[in-house]
Order: sequence, then C-alpha cells, then structure tokens
Amino acid sequence: MNPIALIARKESGELLMSGRGLAWLLALSVIMSVLSLLLVSNTELSLLDNAQVVYMVMGTVTALGALLAVVLGSDTVAGERERGSLMPLMLAPVTPSQIVFGKMGGQVAGWAVMYLLSLPYVWAVGSSGQNLAQAVVYLALFGTPVVLGFGFLGIGLSARLRSVRSALLTSLITLMLLASPLLLGPSLRQSTIGKFFDAVNPFSAAVNTFDSVVIDSQPLAMQFTRLAVTLVWLALTTAFAIRSVRKMEI
Amino acid sequence: MLVEIRELKLNLGSHAVLRNVNLTLEKGQVYGLLGPNGAGKSTTISVVTGLRAPTAGSVSVLGLDPATDPIQLHRRIGVLAEQAGFYDWMSASDYLRWVAGLYRITLSKAEIASQLERVGLEGRSPASIATYSRGMRQRLGLARALINQPELLILDEPTNGLDPRGRREIHDVLLDLSANHGVGILLCTHLLDDVDRLCTRIGIIAQGQTILEGAIADLLSDQNAAVRYRLRVEPGETPDRLPADVTLRARAGDWWHVEVSSHIDPASAWRKLLDAGVRIDEIHREGGGLEDLYMAVTEAKEAA
Repeated sequence: MNPIALIARKESGELLMSGRGLAWLLALSVIMSVLSLLLVSNTELSLLDNAQVVYMVMGTVTALGALLAVVLGSDTVAGERERGSLMPLMLAPVTPSQIVFGKMGGQVAGWAVMYLLSLPYVWAVGSSGQNLAQAVVYLALFGTPVVLGFGFLGIGLSARLRSVRSALLTSLITLMLLASPLLLGPSLRQSTIGKFFDAVNPFSAAVNTFDSVVIDSQPLAMQFTRLAVTLVWLALTTAFAIRSVRKMEI
Repeated sequence: MLVEIRELKLNLGSHAVLRNVNLTLEKGQVYGLLGPNGAGKSTTISVVTGLRAPTAGSVSVLGLDPATDPIQLHRRIGVLAEQAGFYDWMSASDYLRWVAGLYRITLSKAEIASQLERVGLEGRSPASIATYSRGMRQRLGLARALINQPELLILDEPTNGLDPRGRREIHDVLLDLSANHGVGILLCTHLLDDVDRLCTRIGIIAQGQTILEGAIADLLSDQNAAVRYRLRVEPGETPDRLPADVTLRARAGDWWHVEVSSHIDPASAWRKLLDAGVRIDEIHREGGGLEDLYMAVTEAKEAA
C-alpha cells in the first residue's frame, strides 16, 4: 500500500477508534440533536421559516467541522512529537510530503464522517422544505474546502510551533477571527472593512453561499467568486502545511 | 565502510553544537558512541540519519550522503531512538505490519510472530501497546528497527528500562546481528557495561568534539588503563606468587583487590595465577578499564 494511504488509514483509525474521536462524534450528535429539536420547534411555531432553519444547521455543521479540524490538525505533528512517535515516522522511507498528505487523509476522513453524521439532521429540519438537495450539495461543496483548510492550517502550525497547546491556541484564534464577521451586526457588515472581510474570508464565503442558495434560491453561477475564495483558502493552507512539514526538524 | 564522518560541524543558529566529530564504522562492527549529557551524541545521530544537514565536514553512510539522499538511506538502516513512541491503540503485530508497509514490505503473520519472538515479545501480539511496560516498548522499538533487515543499526540507549535478563537477551540479539549477519551497529549509551560486552570500537564525544576514537583494546593499552578485580582465594594463600601483570592493591582476609594491566587479556592473567598454584574461588570485576579511560578523557576535556 502507498505510504500516503497507510498514514491516512492510521490517522482515520486513530480518530474513529480512539476514545477522543468517539467522544467528539457523540458530542456532535448531542449538539445537533438539541439544535435540530429547537429549530424544528421554532418552525412549528412559525418563528423561523424552513429555509432559515436549514441555513442555520449548515452553518453550525461547518463551524463544528472547522473546530474538529483545528483540534485534530494541531495534534497531528506536535502531538506525535510529544508522544515520541514522530521520529520513527521521519526515519521511515517516507517523504515529508507523503507524511503531510497522509495526515490530510485523516482530516478528510474526519470531515467525511462528520458530514455523513450531519445528513440526518439536515434532512430532519429540511425535509418539509424545497432546498434539502441544495443544502446537502452545498454543504459538501463549500464546507469541505473551509473545514479542510482549517485542518491543514492546524497541521502547518503543529509542525512549526512544536507544541500542541500553542498550535491549538493559534488555530482557534484564527478560526475565531475568521468567524467573527458572522457575529457582527448587519450595519457593520455593510461597512467598507466589513465588506472587505466578507469578500476574502473563506468562512463568510461559505456561510453567505448557504444564505444565498438556501434562503434566496440563487443559482451556482452566482457563487463562483465565493467558491474561488474557499478554494484559494484550501490551496494556501495546503501549501502552508506542506512547507511547514518539509522545514520541520526533530 | 558503513559510516565515515570526517570533521563534522553543525551550527544551530549561532551556537556550534558539533565542532569536530569523527567516526568510522565498518561492516559487522559494534561501535559505542559515548559522552556526557549534552555532548552532541544524539545530534550526531540526527546528522547520520539525515534529519539534520551538517554545516561543514563530510558524512557518508552506506555510501550515501544522508542530507541529500535520506529516503534511500532510511530504506537500508534501522533506528531505535531514545524516545521510542508508538501508537498505543494498536497491537504490536498491527503496528509492525503498519511500519513494514511504510517500507513497502508485506509481512505474514508468521514473520511478524518471528520478529516479536526475536526480541522476546512472543505471545504479546494481541495486546494493545498501551499495556506495555517500558522494557517491552524498548523491545518493540528494536523489532521496529529490524523490520527492514537493515545493514546499519543505530541504537540510542537500547537497554533503557530492561531488567538484567532482558539486557542480556538484547545483547545476544545484537551480537548475533553483527557477528552472523554483518550488520554494523552504532550504539549510543551511557552504560559502559553494554559497551564492554558489545563494542569493539568506541568514540568519546565531549563538547561537540571527538576526543578519543579507536578500537577499545588499543585505547586501553595506549592509556595504560588497568582493570580492577576482586578475587577470593583459598585461606592461607599469599600474594607473593602474583605474576608481573597483576598488582595487588589491597587485601582484606581472603579477598584480594588487584589490578590487571591493560596489555594482557585477564583470562591469561588468571591462568598464570592458577599455573603458579594460587587457588582462586571467585573473581569479580570492580572497575577500571573503560570506565577509568572514559572518566580520564572527559574530565581532562572539562578541565581544558
């Protein structure tokens, strides 16, 4: 088997078989269950319409995915270093690029499991509306580059900072900064700085797309710029992770 | 020549970590790399394995330059690092199969069982590594280092955490590898007993410099480092029949504390004693030899 596939399989196994990974998936299920219940109740009381509820679930899944990705990413290299298992990996006939792509495979598996786990909840809140199919497709299309980008940022920081704690803290601060425009009021988001931030922020690009597609029913053709923003984010974080692991020293 | 290092220098930032390291290791030889903590032994190993590029000097390992050809080198060497980490949720057999995959080697169940048996871990393969003691982890680390049948084995404190019997078993594995399979072994350790039993050649590093290198027998002879023993003799024996190469240092009842010159093999000294009619009941080594040599050269370096 190719070393990339071997490392990816190990990373996925660690995530899905370890207590930490299972605890995360359980926590995700509980959060999504409670959120879905609240949102369905609001829909029944006509406080929110169906499209808004689907939009909120998509945003929440993306945010939780990004959070999982930075936690996992921050541990990938620095955690292995702290546990003493990085050196044997670096002394095997495996290139740094193969190590980083293998670890990225673990991130992809983590997000895939989370995405699949979220589908019943998307269906639960969106089955009575018109935009369920778009929600499923766009969550994959825009959520994937955003979430994986955060994971790769975590991997890069983990290789550079040599400490899980430092990498996790830096990744979380970055995630909070990128998610912060969503917390700003509409008037601030309409200011020049707010607009600029929205335009270059991958997190905003994904969430604004969910809004545009699910609530306003706009077509894919209107989302290309935002898709480009998320893809550029993914490309930049991938390059950062590869460069960081290549420059890494034991 | 498996390893040849000439005038190796390595700077980390503005700090010179290695200033002049020299080392030669031939096929089938066991080389002991010694030195005080922080002397540069582990850094030297990181250069030999291609994890760090030297600032100056030449390094050749199995005819390859580790800095430019690390992947080719890693295919042919086995390394047991001081901090032997594993994936604790795996079993030993799953772990070895996974590591073998990185070398693109497919191992059968029987081959994995044989690898585990070789290092004394037979019957433990289904248990997760999390349940392993430190000594068992060392053994598994050695099995990992041997997975690709390396031509050169680099071991950093391989007997750490092992009980005396475990140490002896690992020694036997290493001696078999060097004597019967021609594997060169670079052994980095603080345990002079390990060096005494395994190595034919040593290098002592202090403050980033090789201060002594060569065959142990030659170095002991050159330094005139006598080896001390404690003998228990039959009651009534007198030391006037001691041969010239054996000097009495002290005497307490039936116990004689003697020094054997580094120029002769201790076994021949005991034979001379027995031939002279001295009746010996017990022989215990007390020190001297390599230990005294190590202390002398490292203290001299510190004082300089």
